[in-house]
Amino acid sequence: MRSKLIIVSLAAVLAACQTTQGTHQIYPPAGGPRGEPLPSTPPPAAAPEPVAPPAAPAPKPLPDYPKSAEQISGGAVTALMKQARAALNAGQPDRAAGALERALRIEPRNYFVWSALGQAYLGQKNYLQAESVAQKSNALARGNIYVDIENWKTIAAARQARGDNDGALQASAQVEALQAQLSAAPAPP
Amino acid sequence: MAVNTRSLKIAAVSVLIVVLSIGGVFFAGYLIKLDKEIRDRFAGARWALPAQVYAAPQELYAGLALEPKELVHELQRLGYREDAQLGMTGTYSAGAQRVDLYARGFTFWDGAQPAQKLSVAFSGDTVTAVSDGDSGQEKDIVRLDPMLIGSIYPKQGEDRVLVRLADLPPLLPKGLVAVEDHGFYSHSGVSLKAIFRASVANLRAGHVVQGGSTITQQLVKNFFLNSRQTWNRKINEAFMALLLESHYSKDEILEAYFNEVHLGQDGNRAVHGFGLGAQFYFNKPLAELRPHEIALLVGIVKGPSYYNPRRNPARATERRNLVLGIFRDEKLISDAEYEQYTQMPLGVVGGRGGGVERYPAFVDLVKRQLEDDYKDEDLTNEGLRIFTTLDPRAQEALEARILEQLPLIEKARKIKPGLLEAAGVVTSADRGEVMALVGGRDVRFPGFNRALDSRRSIGSLAKPFVYLTALQRPDRYNLQTVLEDEPIELKLPGAALWAPRNYDRQLHGPQHLYMALAQSYNLPTVRLGLALGADAVLKTMKSAGYDGDAKALPSIFLGAVDASPLQIAQMYGTIASGGFQARPSAIREVQTKEGKPLQRFPLDMKQTFADGPIYLLTWAMQRVMTLGTGRAAYTQLSPDTVVAGKSGTTDDYRDAWFAGFGADRVTVVWVGRDDNQSTGLSGSSGALPIWARVMKDLHVRSIDNIPPGSVEEIAIDPDSGLRADEHCYNAVTVPYLRNSGPQEWAPCAAQSQHDSPMQWLKDIFGH
Repeated sequence: MRSKLIIVSLAAVLAACQTTQGTHQIYPPAGGPRGEPLPSTPPPAAAPEPVAPPAAPAPKPLPDYPKSAEQISGGAVTALMKQARAALNAGQPDRAAGALERALRIEPRNYFVWSALGQAYLGQKNYLQAESVAQKSNALARGNIYVDIENWKTIAAARQARGDNDGALQASAQVEALQAQLSAAPAPP
Repeated sequence: MAVNTRSLKIAAVSVLIVVLSIGGVFFAGYLIKLDKEIRDRFAGARWALPAQVYAAPQELYAGLALEPKELVHELQRLGYREDAQLGMTGTYSAGAQRVDLYARGFTFWDGAQPAQKLSVAFSGDTVTAVSDGDSGQEKDIVRLDPMLIGSIYPKQGEDRVLVRLADLPPLLPKGLVAVEDHGFYSHSGVSLKAIFRASVANLRAGHVVQGGSTITQQLVKNFFLNSRQTWNRKINEAFMALLLESHYSKDEILEAYFNEVHLGQDGNRAVHGFGLGAQFYFNKPLAELRPHEIALLVGIVKGPSYYNPRRNPARATERRNLVLGIFRDEKLISDAEYEQYTQMPLGVVGGRGGGVERYPAFVDLVKRQLEDDYKDEDLTNEGLRIFTTLDPRAQEALEARILEQLPLIEKARKIKPGLLEAAGVVTSADRGEVMALVGGRDVRFPGFNRALDSRRSIGSLAKPFVYLTALQRPDRYNLQTVLEDEPIELKLPGAALWAPRNYDRQLHGPQHLYMALAQSYNLPTVRLGLALGADAVLKTMKSAGYDGDAKALPSIFLGAVDASPLQIAQMYGTIASGGFQARPSAIREVQTKEGKPLQRFPLDMKQTFADGPIYLLTWAMQRVMTLGTGRAAYTQLSPDTVVAGKSGTTDDYRDAWFAGFGADRVTVVWVGRDDNQSTGLSGSSGALPIWARVMKDLHVRSIDNIPPGSVEEIAIDPDSGLRADEHCYNAVTVPYLRNSGPQEWAPCAAQSQHDSPMQWLKDIFGH
């Protein structure tokens, strides 16, 4: 025990003496003549600038996520999404869901379509699937905050409708957190 | 005497009157009964209409990956024929970079799409534009009419597709009347002239050569009576014909005849009516039949078995030409047309049940899924229209590759030809729609459906679920965790000693977790499974969709679990879709026979795994394809196609499995013997050749490998398993669940000299 302690303290002391410049050079020394004198006149020192008060780290700008389905969808899917939107506005969630499911067969990983399908299912009072489909959209959106917010709204509404108040509150909190993140972030260039 | 004679006469007349009166009463009663029978039959639903089952429609839109020849193939499958003029619906004209077609109208679930001329432009293997054939205006998206793939009719039952007189090509009613009952529009149900003419002809010939029955009598016979030739029946038939004519118009009777008449037999299924007849023999709607095809159907009426064009083509051709002769004599066609059409081939689509009943295994699945929601009578009587998920292109690929590869495998392995059986499933990765299903080698035979009912041991297909269980515990396991490949013996209560071995009976030294899966080593898998517990692994399988009754025993790590190919498709689909389990669905919508929406089948999915562990597992399963037991797939697939999969081989090589997926499709193939004996085939040698070719034919999309937020990718030095930087020449990038990757730097990394507290010791003593 004692001998171990000694070794450890010795190692610690030796380690402290160690410099990052290294006693053991593994690379050949950098080129250039040694012992060259330093420049005689140092460059003029810059006037000391006033130090800015330490601020909270600036929020990183958000990646430039697509904001609308048109940005990532082909013409056929865009047309079907328009149909779906019109049907949903006309109080025909069945038709909307039909058009969106058709769109998904064409672009199965289009998270905007999945997101809209969640809303259509909500309209059909198919709450379990509304939540599942919104989660699926989140999984495919890979962090697209605009889509995430819509999906968490859908999830909150679906949970509320099912009587899961705690779950709905959690989802609403998620919406608020994402919205706060969105408003704090500088606009992407 | 005179008195006696007179009273006798009176008595005789009285008796006669009484007898006649009684007879009259009975006769009147008899007529009333017949009359009621006729009215009841005609007034109510005249026919039990089997449900019609449709494949998914081909969508056409700019950007679709489809070659002109594939579109032409699709059109031919739908019974479209080439016609540069696009003279009627169901025709097309194909060029190198353009296909013009006259699409049929169809009432889809969400509304009717009218018949329309379309022009589809291509660039290479992609559709660049779909436009209106007349105005040239571009269209966003258009559907072709879906293929009728079967119907749900009662056992030993009649099948039919209802038609209205107005929908018939005009030649058909005229031609039928000319051939079967020339005086149809003038007689009142029975034609004495026809009976006399037939009797003379029959007397001359010495046997029955001609029938004197009118169309009305034939309808009555089909409708109400059996076909026994008795006087009793003949008399009934005549009276019923007269009564029928007194109640209903000629057109109503003719329409009923067109829907009732028997036109052929397909196993247990009786083909009734011209609507189904056109589909059954020519694979197209009745309205699109041409004169020689109409003539054949009219000719078949006389004896569907005797003139069966598939079995007796010469006899059927002779009969058809005779009918065409009558058409000409009646001036229904010209002499030139007669010459032309008698030279035409019969044009009957080939094979058993051609045109309909093509995919019995899939329709079997459809029936089972409908049984949850509908009564048998609804399905066999109500004429429901069932819209399914079947993708004819995927189905064709799966069937063709199974039928092509099995004989080659048998030949190469010196297996008795025909001994191997196979089953396969293709589903859509993100939602579990069943796109193709093969239940056995005889793909047209509605027999034992192995894709649904053959529950065989799944072998190494179980392994991904062992590894997934581990990857859900990032505190203990990651893809680089080292597993021992050392012998192991287990004594379980009440069972013999279990000493699993690797398939190659070798030991390979310590293995990284992903490599143990890629190479499908048994010993590291069993060791890992034991550390995790059989309960945990079984729970993972259930979360993926397994619903069997396997016990939580260590043998499940190596696949002592029975499952059907469809169930495997569901379990692997859960991995393919990023952790969302979806019930395999075969039905999208149901319509009433009038085309009104009745029911939609929405998605049925739920997230059962977090995306991170699924991403890691998928990464490992991609190594199965590039480094492990699935390597041979790349003899078929292009090297930049990213797919993930797993082979499965069971004890004594009884079952050969391969299951895997790309971004959009999950495919499962099983090959084995019905008697559950050894085939000598592994998953890689028996099932993979089929799997890889099907995936190629499907143009499977690559897995995109964009890690979810819960995963970070870290460059690793494979020797030490520690972090690498640009100084490590053989570094590999490995995904880890966030904050579970190695923190230390590998010896090769420049960073290690700063970070490793003992580096200076190594520096001193290592040199």
